[in-house]
Amino acid sequence: MRKGLITLHVNGDAHEVLVSSQHSLLDVLRGKLKLMGTKEGCTTGSCGVCTVNNGRGEAVLSCLTPALEWDGAHITTIEGLERNGCLAPIQQAFVAYHAVQCGFCTPGVIMSAQAVLNATPNPSEDDINDGLAGVICRCTGHIKVKEAIRHVGEFAATFKE
Amino acid sequence: MLLPEHDFVKPRTLAEGLAVLRDSAGEIRLLGGGTDVVFNMRCRLLTPDTLLSLKDLPELQGVAVLPDGSLRLGAASRLTDLIASPLVRERYPALVKAFRAVASRHVRNLATLGGNLCLDTRCWFTNQTKEWRDAKGPCLKTGTEGCHAIQGSPICVALNNADSPPALIALDATVTLVSYRGERTLPLQDFYREDGVRHTTREADEILAWVTVPPTSDRLVFLKETARQGMDFSYGAIAIRANGAGASASRLRIVLGSLTTAPRVLESAAERLAALGLGDDGIEAACAVLRDALGPLTNLYSPAAYKRELARILLRKAVLELREMPA
Repeated sequence: MRKGLITLHVNGDAHEVLVSSQHSLLDVLRGKLKLMGTKEGCTTGSCGVCTVNNGRGEAVLSCLTPALEWDGAHITTIEGLERNGCLAPIQQAFVAYHAVQCGFCTPGVIMSAQAVLNATPNPSEDDINDGLAGVICRCTGHIKVKEAIRHVGEFAATFKE
Repeated sequence: MLLPEHDFVKPRTLAEGLAVLRDSAGEIRLLGGGTDVVFNMRCRLLTPDTLLSLKDLPELQGVAVLPDGSLRLGAASRLTDLIASPLVRERYPALVKAFRAVASRHVRNLATLGGNLCLDTRCWFTNQTKEWRDAKGPCLKTGTEGCHAIQGSPICVALNNADSPPALIALDATVTLVSYRGERTLPLQDFYREDGVRHTTREADEILAWVTVPPTSDRLVFLKETARQGMDFSYGAIAIRANGAGASASRLRIVLGSLTTAPRVLESAAERLAALGLGDDGIEAACAVLRDALGPLTNLYSPAAYKRELARILLRKAVLELREMPA
């Protein structure tokens, strides 16, 4: 098919979208659903800023996957982490530990970090390195980011589901 | 940038997929996780008429133990799931290391085993934007003739940069290709061709369905050298399998990846090591035959002289690691 109607469950909301085979998942999130939090970087799988979480809470690149492949899938984007105006613990940790510089890669970094935490609530140094290897920050480095992830537990109590 | 125009087809069963391959006209590309095919489509290296998505085919998923003790890996299994599989982890730890060497976790969460085995060959004259390639002029891979990497080469010399083939070839894995005409099983080693344009023996109507890894109690080591850790294509990779323990081994299998157009099985080096053992003498003797075993190399991604030296270093490091492994 060249075009198809797919159902995408994004951040808990079901959307019916008409997509073309030329669209990636990223094109649909940004272009059709106007969820601009997820950024478009290299679009060739090198930079990781387009990272979203799939239904299993794993980090995937939304640029490298045709939208039609995702019919019926559950996706979490950076917009889906907060609850009623309360930032998720990982977001609060990024603020508190200054893990942001220009901010362009931040949605991708946070979704990658969230995926690490989804898999292991207390990640080891190796888990963090492995989970963040696929996303690149051009401003600074991963030191502050890793610090924020290590201290995410401090913010768990403030987060109300 | 939008992907090139194409028909997207997602069959629900293997039989449905095979029927599409039988009945469709035009160029069909098989899609696993998309991390290679979509990338190449973005670069306009691939402009297929049809994308056939195999990712969710139920027949091609998961890990099964066959009656003879072999493991059968579904080609549409994600690398992430194979890495997490207790069966694979327990039996072939070095194979898990090879799977983990593929790109980043983000990519492995999409990428499939079949996709990694069929990974398109890479060349720094073709893995560029269309504008860049147009300015440089066509070659065997993007047109009909000419090679920018080796002037006058009659065949494309792009590199096979996949990480999992060396380890799987060392384990004597076989691949099963299925088409509406039937199915055939061949050693993974014979799946690859020394031609960067048509780099596998897969026919146009065939689907790579399963990879079968026979049981073994041999030791296996996998090493990969990259410019940066974390996520990178490899400069060179090696897988060595040996029986015995410590410095004694009578049967070895050595496979180099990423240095040539097809993964290279080093029989002469393996024979030297089998004859002389895994001591320093054996290593030196094996390294001495590497140059001949590798033959002419390209300067793609690293100079040919570097590739030869890297092959020796990988061989030495891998044998040392093999020697230290507990029996």
